[in-house]
Amino acid sequence: MFDYLPPLNNHNLPYPDTMHPIVVHFVIAMALFAFVCDLVGTVTKNPRYFEVSWWNMAFATVSIFIAVIFGQVEAGLAEPYSAPAEATLNLHTILGWSLSGIIAAITGWRYVLRSRDSQTLPLAYLGAGALLTGLVFFQTYLGDKLVWIYGLHTVEVVEALRKGVL
Amino acid sequence: MGAELINQLGEALGPNGLPYPIPLHPNLVHLTLGLFIVAIGFDLVGALFPLEKRVFRFLAIPASQSNLFDVGWFNMVAAAIVTFPTVAAGFYEMLLAQPPSDEVSAWGLGSLSTMLWHGVGGVLLLALIVGMAIWRGFQRYLWRQDRARQVQWSYLGVGLAIFALMFAHGTLGAQLAAEFGVHISADRLLRAGQDLSVLQVISPVLGGLW
Repeated sequence: MFDYLPPLNNHNLPYPDTMHPIVVHFVIAMALFAFVCDLVGTVTKNPRYFEVSWWNMAFATVSIFIAVIFGQVEAGLAEPYSAPAEATLNLHTILGWSLSGIIAAITGWRYVLRSRDSQTLPLAYLGAGALLTGLVFFQTYLGDKLVWIYGLHTVEVVEALRKGVL
Repeated sequence: MGAELINQLGEALGPNGLPYPIPLHPNLVHLTLGLFIVAIGFDLVGALFPLEKRVFRFLAIPASQSNLFDVGWFNMVAAAIVTFPTVAAGFYEMLLAQPPSDEVSAWGLGSLSTMLWHGVGGVLLLALIVGMAIWRGFQRYLWRQDRARQVQWSYLGVGLAIFALMFAHGTLGAQLAAEFGVHISADRLLRAGQDLSVLQVISPVLGGLW
């Protein structure tokens, strides 16, 4: 079966560089900026910011599913070499899938709120936004650990794994 | 920068060569790139709105052209603001980088060339992003205030050209991390021939499992 799959490069990937950390730009930046816009819109009472927030959340919703697909492929090829690395990757994976549901649900809620009245935003939605902001930060931190501490998919680590040093 | 000079900071630096466990620059980059690309993307969708009206109606998503341009404008302003700390953190972390000198990247560049181009490119992109935000502001509030299409085609064209520059620039940055191992704890320990068990105590608060 493995004969039909593309060969893996020195990042242990079938394509040049990791894609997941690029796609997540559009989840991290959009979800966080949407919350900033909701806060600014609430403080300034300018509903224009609520529209900006909604469109950013809509974009984040589409993006996170693409991020999960690439994340799943790259997690499968990551070879976490120690128990803490594996635990971090597992938690990152579970939270990533969960966030796809959470972000889609929040955007769906926002769609309903916006359809009823696009000029105001209930406090409860702001609370959900704050919670989401916290989860995005934590999820980003976990992903950061996988790259910047454990070096998954970096040439040095892949080489060490192939040589059996790790 | 040379090892002797960096040793001035001595004890303050962790195994990744920084005084904190996770580099800041790559995280701020998420914000810069996400905001800029989506800003241009929404202006493009706004400019082509007459073609998309039916699609939005089919999806039952109420959309107005001016709101799409609001996204283009506010996201671009946010990108311009956040890119200053992105570049500042980048230079701080680049000054503390100690990449290997005997390897070349997938693009055939050595580590110093890669860092120099990434540094110059970062300043250039900062200037371009700020310039785009100012240009966008003139279109929004002065030149095209009363037009249905708030952005010039040339603005969108330049935006797409900046995407290409960002791709090259981002790849250089990714190579600094994934190929030269800059500020990656595991890579630096492996290069130094040291034990990776120290990785479990790097972030004491959320260390170990998390």
